[in-house]
Amino acid sequence: MRAARVLAVGAVLALLGLLVWDLAKGDGDKVAKEVNRGQVVQAPNFRLPLLNGTGHLSLAALRGKVVVLNFWQSYCHPCEEEAPDLVAAHEHWAGRGVAFVGVDVQDFKGAARKFLARYGVTYPIVRDGPGSTIGPFGLTGYPETYFVDRRGRVVPPHVVGIASRDELDTGIRRALESA
Amino acid sequence: MKRLAAAALAALVLAPAALASEQHPTQRELERELVCIECHTTLDESDSAIARQMKAYIARRIRQGATKSQIEDELVDQFGPGVLGVPRKHGFDLLAWVLPLGGIALGAVALGVGARRWSRVSTEPRTGRGSVKELPLDPEDERRVDEELERFE
Repeated sequence: MRAARVLAVGAVLALLGLLVWDLAKGDGDKVAKEVNRGQVVQAPNFRLPLLNGTGHLSLAALRGKVVVLNFWQSYCHPCEEEAPDLVAAHEHWAGRGVAFVGVDVQDFKGAARKFLARYGVTYPIVRDGPGSTIGPFGLTGYPETYFVDRRGRVVPPHVVGIASRDELDTGIRRALESA
Repeated sequence: MKRLAAAALAALVLAPAALASEQHPTQRELERELVCIECHTTLDESDSAIARQMKAYIARRIRQGATKSQIEDELVDQFGPGVLGVPRKHGFDLLAWVLPLGGIALGAVALGVGARRWSRVSTEPRTGRGSVKELPLDPEDERRVDEELERFE
């Protein structure tokens, strides 16, 4: 009888633990919400396989550089429309302490590689097949762009939809100026 | 013996169907079993862009003669195990089957033990401490009961 009670209490505690874990995990869209309110928040880290290279890339490894983080999919038409401006911005800002990273979310590898070849994307692209970055960054669609400062913090603006060349330059300048 | 024969017969009937499904899967069965990674419904219920891509991929691989396991493995490689409608019955995913079944089994055992105890308590004669038989009557009460009973004699 005592063992049964211990078992029951253990089961209840385990369920409570699961609930707490799920609630903590569900708080992921905090980044998008806070940045949209003009706040500066720590960027959630990720370590994902490179689509146009070998090995993995972690966001934390880029600390010390401003990072333009662009989330996209190959079958998203606005992403196609945005690609030339991203490529041009990358060429302009390369070598000025600014790194561009594309996160290809829930996409077929083959289709994504064709997209990169079509638009001449040369900056690192990581693959997030299961969509593990959606929750932590609070993504609502594609494309979306975040700007991360040298200290690994996401700074406004957060561009939902196509980021124009002006928006990219503004975001990069603000991230460079962020103390 | 009859049950064993029935089970063997069922296995004989079902095995070729399972093998056929593995070797020559149909678009319909895969769309019913696999999940759209973006909308979290089965592919046959989804018409999102990625679901259409997944359906086209499945159709192409079926035409190329891929087995059901191959197609499933390839989609898991692309999108992770979330594309499988049901968890696999090996490795870590086996826990998803074992834990609920184990929970049900434990619950059944607990219910059985509880019911057995309860039935024992309610059918056994009460001879322990606090039982009705052993409660001594107050002398005053005893006198009143005797008086009442005398009236019926």
